[in-house]
Amino acid sequence: MKFNFKTLGLGFAAAALLAACSEPPEIAAKAAKRPDVAPYMGANNGFMTKNWTPGNQASWTESTDKRTQGQNEYSRVK
Amino acid sequence: MARMKFICDTERCIECNGCVTACKNDNEVPWGINRRRVVTVNDGIIGQEKSISVACMHCTDAPCMAVCPVDCFYRTDEGVVLHDKDICIGCGYCSFACPFGAPQFLSKGAFGSRSKMDKCTFCSGGPEENGSVAEFEKYGRNRLAEGKLPLCAEMCSTKALIGGDSDIISGIFNNRVATREKNGKYPGSKAFGWTTAYGGPDTPAPTPTPAAKIPGAK
Repeated sequence: MKFNFKTLGLGFAAAALLAACSEPPEIAAKAAKRPDVAPYMGANNGFMTKNWTPGNQASWTESTDKRTQGQNEYSRVK
Repeated sequence: MARMKFICDTERCIECNGCVTACKNDNEVPWGINRRRVVTVNDGIIGQEKSISVACMHCTDAPCMAVCPVDCFYRTDEGVVLHDKDICIGCGYCSFACPFGAPQFLSKGAFGSRSKMDKCTFCSGGPEENGSVAEFEKYGRNRLAEGKLPLCAEMCSTKALIGGDSDIISGIFNNRVATREKNGKYPGSKAFGWTTAYGGPDTPAPTPTPAAKIPGAK
């Protein structure tokens, strides 16, 4: 069989063109915002304060409000 | 639920930088970033030197949120402005938009490449599982989910920096100012511009200007 440069060239060209068909798309997936869990649901660790119930928004609010008032030394010294 | 806010009382801040240290230690903030810092003005002028502890103010209409091209910011029901580091591209727009210099970036690359943005989270983490290792590594402690308040405010020795529900902390601050005034300090000052900012008891509620009267507004 006689070596044919023309056939070889066509083969390379076809391979190069077809290679593009197998390329995966390089467009990054759109980053979507993830929902954040509310703080009153509690933390998954051992540092939780004890005076409120995780999942109960009212008890969390009451507890943190009391803690906020703890920064008021006027009420602490009287 | 009101909004979570910080107030720093410049009459009490002694520039000890305890808040800065506490924040950096508790959240394991890397070198090169200070989520909180103390700014002193009129340095050395007797009677006029004042210090104030500054971090993210968790703005109601946050400019960082407005300019972010990838919309990585969000505001929680407690009024805390947070961001998703998985979405942040480190462009730095938020840093230029913020009047307080809160958003910061690590610049350790040879060509000034920036890291993901880092800022004060009001000790409430980010969009990862509350109290998880992943949340801690990206955003620091989530003290709100532990039933606590930001450490910087809770450990402030002079209680210059207070944080929490805005109604409560503004009440604490207003009470202090009234007491100072009663005791002869800054007589007649009415809480150093409190009435200017929030109005006195006789101040009528502000009337919004109709959009038609604002040049350029639609």
